[in-house]
Amino acid sequence: MTTHSIAATGPATETRTDADGSSAPPPSAQQASNAGAKRRRVQERDGLGALRTGVWVVLAFLVGLPLVALALQGIQPESRQVFGDSAVAEAALNSVASATGSALLATLAGAFLAVVLERSNIPGRGALRWLVLLPFLIPPFIGAMAWMALLGANGPVNKTLASLGIDAQLSIFGGWGVVFLLAVHSYPMAYLVIAAAMRRIPGNLEEAARISGAGTARVLETVTLPLLGPGLLAAFVLTLVANLSDFGIPALIGLPERYTTLTTLVYRYLASSTTSNPLPAVSAIGLLLLVLAVLAVLAQRKLPSGSQLGSGGTGMKLELGAARIPVLVLLWLWVGIICLVPLLALASQALLPAPGVPLTLENLTLENIIRAATSPNAVSGMGNSLLLAGGAAVCCTVLGLGIALLLTRGKHRSNGALDVVATLPQALPGLVIAVGWLLIAPMLGIFNTSWVILGAYIMAFMALVVQSVRAPLASVSSTLEEAARTAGASPLRALLDVSARLAVPAALTGGVVVLLTAVRELTISILLVAPGTQTLGVSIFNLQQSGDYGGASALALLVALAGILGLSATAALANRRVDT
Amino acid sequence: MATIKMRNLGLVYPNGHVGLDGIELDVRDGEFLALLGPSGSGKTTLLRTIAGFLRPSAGSLSIDGKDIAGEGTWMPPEKRGLGMVFQDHAIWPHLSVAGNVGYPLKLSGIPRAQLARRVAEVLEQVGLAEYAKRKPSALSGGQRQRVALARAIVASPKALLLDEALSALDEPLRARLRLELRALTREQGLTAVHVTHDRAEALGLADRVVVLNEGRIQQVGTPAELLENPANSFVASFVSDATLFPGTLVDGNFHADHPGARFNKHMEVHRNPGIKFVGVPQTAVSRSRRAVAAVAPTGLRLEPVENRGIGTTAGRAPLARVTSALYGRHGYETSVDWAGTALRVLVSGWVPTEGQLVRPVIESAHVFCEEAGAAEGRAA
Repeated sequence: MTTHSIAATGPATETRTDADGSSAPPPSAQQASNAGAKRRRVQERDGLGALRTGVWVVLAFLVGLPLVALALQGIQPESRQVFGDSAVAEAALNSVASATGSALLATLAGAFLAVVLERSNIPGRGALRWLVLLPFLIPPFIGAMAWMALLGANGPVNKTLASLGIDAQLSIFGGWGVVFLLAVHSYPMAYLVIAAAMRRIPGNLEEAARISGAGTARVLETVTLPLLGPGLLAAFVLTLVANLSDFGIPALIGLPERYTTLTTLVYRYLASSTTSNPLPAVSAIGLLLLVLAVLAVLAQRKLPSGSQLGSGGTGMKLELGAARIPVLVLLWLWVGIICLVPLLALASQALLPAPGVPLTLENLTLENIIRAATSPNAVSGMGNSLLLAGGAAVCCTVLGLGIALLLTRGKHRSNGALDVVATLPQALPGLVIAVGWLLIAPMLGIFNTSWVILGAYIMAFMALVVQSVRAPLASVSSTLEEAARTAGASPLRALLDVSARLAVPAALTGGVVVLLTAVRELTISILLVAPGTQTLGVSIFNLQQSGDYGGASALALLVALAGILGLSATAALANRRVDT
Repeated sequence: MATIKMRNLGLVYPNGHVGLDGIELDVRDGEFLALLGPSGSGKTTLLRTIAGFLRPSAGSLSIDGKDIAGEGTWMPPEKRGLGMVFQDHAIWPHLSVAGNVGYPLKLSGIPRAQLARRVAEVLEQVGLAEYAKRKPSALSGGQRQRVALARAIVASPKALLLDEALSALDEPLRARLRLELRALTREQGLTAVHVTHDRAEALGLADRVVVLNEGRIQQVGTPAELLENPANSFVASFVSDATLFPGTLVDGNFHADHPGARFNKHMEVHRNPGIKFVGVPQTAVSRSRRAVAAVAPTGLRLEPVENRGIGTTAGRAPLARVTSALYGRHGYETSVDWAGTALRVLVSGWVPTEGQLVRPVIESAHVFCEEAGAAEGRAA
């Protein structure tokens, strides 16, 4: 590291003296002893320092302030007494249980899908890969609405059962429904994480086991799965944290059966006026979730990453043999039941004038969609969401690009901290972020305005851009920048002309993902909503809660389709860029 | 410990690229065989076909007389009883050294006490006796490659396959492991097939060397045979760094197209023991045919020319100019530009300097007649 910093600053010193036109004195012993101080001064003047300072100031405001406010408020004695409340204890238990259970299910499903879709010779893998990701492209609360439409008392499933004379009312409501739906909406993320980890296992480690006498199953058991351990754990932690903070599913599926989680409890505290000042209690709950999330992230960071495995060719192909047909049937059933049918149920609900009307061609109407999409509430929700998501996308792109550049290009000692601060918010429950902003909003004078939601969005989604920029940037050789340096560019200039230029497409992709994620966000928005600032997600949620299923489904269908198309197109574009 | 027979072995990749073509090869019991060739020549493809990671599309493969791949027969790699060392060692990071080495024995269901004894014995052989409990991450590159070797031989395989096993190591260590590997296979009587692109390694280590190019075997022979009697111009140029002179063969005389390379002017070709004809019919053929002469760096000498004007008999032959002279163990590895042909010469006894004018004198060459005909036959 020392040699690197010398090498990096040496030429800069020379160019600068030349540019100043001052005659460079010959090197002397006195100068050499001064070298340390001089180098420091050069580094401050080279522009990278300014970028780094700027990024840190913004992060301190966006990330540090809300979290510190939350921690300070949360440890007050008046806040802590909330834990004596039995309702809170029960909600905490429900949260942990549903998040753990669903994360376990999601990790198992993700591991199975990763093995079958990445390694086996099953036909139609391309289509299956996209279809199993569908639940990822739909916001969880819309997924919950789709399942409510499917399994409602007047829904297609129960009607079919009744017409067959089976008196078994299937219901999605309650704790098991929450666990199931959380798993459905988080397994795609687990699959993506595990598949990526699997691709990093060099093929020759598996070949070495085969030549040693291990059959396919034995190789999976003794080599592939043990090496996949960190990836499995990462998938588990990620889905656990995401599910811990979800609002839509427990609110729509759990509350009707009085199954309360911490998120829905906080929502009730904030929405109802029974508690005079809900903030102390809410902060304590937020702090608890914050601590849980930080512990989970730290535990995962301690684990060895896959990078030490080295490189190698592709892994072995899994010959499924006789199991091929059953696995294929299972996959298509999975895709059909979990990914497609609920969406169709949502669509039919949106297109029928009222629940329970038989599904025939002449009964279909666009009336719901037109009515819902043109209602003043929906219009203002869409406007707010587009504005907020667009603003968040622009800010996240710029900030994320700056952070990723500092992380991959500089070798500063603050990079470790920068990494943690920039990526931690992504692992934080949306509830924690919302409560943090709720606490600092009055101090900043932005209470009950859209600015609070914007700040929370930027904090929550900034890491999406950092991640999308970081990997491609890290794979670009630093010699490209060094070539610019030897051509006479200052460190900042070289960074902007070479690395930043190369990273712009990835940053834009990340920005689009932020836009598409934020535009349909619910958890943060619903906790920070104020009169006049309601977002699209909140509009749909309120319609659903008020019993206008047709209207809610109509808007939800539009959001779901837009999300599927937008995210698929972005992913396709990003892939094409990687290929070329 | 075993023989490996390949009969007309061919392999075409799904994208249509021909990996192997008509491979006929017998690996003898206890022999150290090297597969040598440039990258893309099919040497690794051949090794992976023997291992069972690739399935041949034609021909058959048998070990110890038992068919393991061919029409209607297929034995997966785990059933073949082979040992393999991979280029970047492929040591499992989640197992200890002893766990890595003992893995093949564990799979074959050997009792634990016996397993531990055998692992200790093999680790002793590769000089890692005290490292049994270490994790691979705590080992150096050379030590990891020794672990890989121990793992490959622990279950007394029928044959040991080495895929560029030493290429990832730095030079002094590589040379030492080369010697250790040779001693180990001799001692155990192991049949070994070693893939390498390093000519010195193949010639130094192997009992016999197989030279491959474009998926076909070019020559099989002892290292001395390859150097002294290359079968064709590819072998001569790849193994010995020979310079190739295309030309015409008329009435037993070779006429190079090159204006300077005279094989029949300054020396009487058919009486000069330095010129060997390969594949030329003994009976005099009147019609001329295309041929190639290969001149190894040791097959010619350079005479320094002090002043261009003071030439005696060299009036018509063009002179050559030294383009580079690299000092090496056996002399100066000199490159000269001889009327457009880059010529490699090993010079000892004097110091060539860049830009100097020299007169190349060819002392020995191999003239290959089969080249043109074979090439035409292939193209047809």
